[in-house]
Amino acid sequence: MNKEQKIIVGKTMKKKFFTALMAGFLAFGGLIAAFGFTGTAFALPLGGIGDFYVEFDELQGTNFQLLPHVGETGNSDAEPMVRNKMDEVVITNLHIYKDLELPGIGWVRFHIRSTGPTNITGLIHDARLIEADLSFNELEIEEKNTTEFSQNWSQNAATINIKGAKIVTDYLFQTVVSLDGAKISAERIDGPDMTTFPGSGK
Amino acid sequence: MNRKEQKALKKQAKQDRKFEKVVDGSRFKQWRSRRPFWGATLTVLAGLMILYIPLHLYAIAFIPGSLVFVGFIFGGLVLIIGLCEYFYPQLSTFFGIATIFLSVLSIMGALGGFLIGTLLGIVAGALNIAWDKEEIDMDTWERNRKQEKLEQVNEAV
Repeated sequence: MNKEQKIIVGKTMKKKFFTALMAGFLAFGGLIAAFGFTGTAFALPLGGIGDFYVEFDELQGTNFQLLPHVGETGNSDAEPMVRNKMDEVVITNLHIYKDLELPGIGWVRFHIRSTGPTNITGLIHDARLIEADLSFNELEIEEKNTTEFSQNWSQNAATINIKGAKIVTDYLFQTVVSLDGAKISAERIDGPDMTTFPGSGK
Repeated sequence: MNRKEQKALKKQAKQDRKFEKVVDGSRFKQWRSRRPFWGATLTVLAGLMILYIPLHLYAIAFIPGSLVFVGFIFGGLVLIIGLCEYFYPQLSTFFGIATIFLSVLSIMGALGGFLIGTLLGIVAGALNIAWDKEEIDMDTWERNRKQEKLEQVNEAV
């Protein structure tokens, strides 16, 4: 029989489809529940969405490193900022928020709050403005004779303590983060938070 | 005629209509019906969504201990599976299971493409698992169709 005389018609078996869909969502729910119970997210990145604001009562970090950095913001491809790196971090009363203008709704502020202690491992954080009370242990400022701006100078400390902070952030990465008592909410606001570099006019 | 028979007849009529559409349809429609087209397309979309976050974080993807690299692997595999589904429809069940598995795991390292990638991947995987093919012999099909038409004319007379 000629091959041309046969035609293949595909079809979707409803029973199989819904069984597979249920199995998929169960696996998905199981993984989310496992993360939810421990409050842990792996490799949580926040970036490329423009400025967002980080506030907290107290931060205790180890192996602190501050480096000059040039990074992308919501308004510009390259802005000067500082890159903070810490190995282990414990934060109390963390509050992250981001203002977005949604078409037809206006300005909306999205909040992520953690009432319990937030434990972070492997924090990388790019900031344009840090307003806080800082105290360091074994602080060292080091300069290197190199044209590579990111290695030209660095500030290192064995431990860092930050109190009452407000940080204008453009990029945040955490290898492992555990948010105890996390709450995510949204509210309508009149206009965005305009805190940026003093005198920059942006 | 009881309800069960009515239901079976309705199902048969629906299937016949579908066959007719494919037989009389364009070459693209016939190509599409030979593979799990929508499942494969959604898998490719899910792969692209999952890759979105790791691609934005490529600068730190190769730092030791970074899970972003894992996100690259999950997203890339889902994308490759999606493309393979177009060419190897006979493996659709295996591809479907792999798509669901990788999409769910992509929450680690890629946040599941803001969860949209994971949800798309689960639906795409289910579509691939549920896909099945039916071969029609064109001669028999034509004969049956002519016969049916003849019967309809006879009934009308």
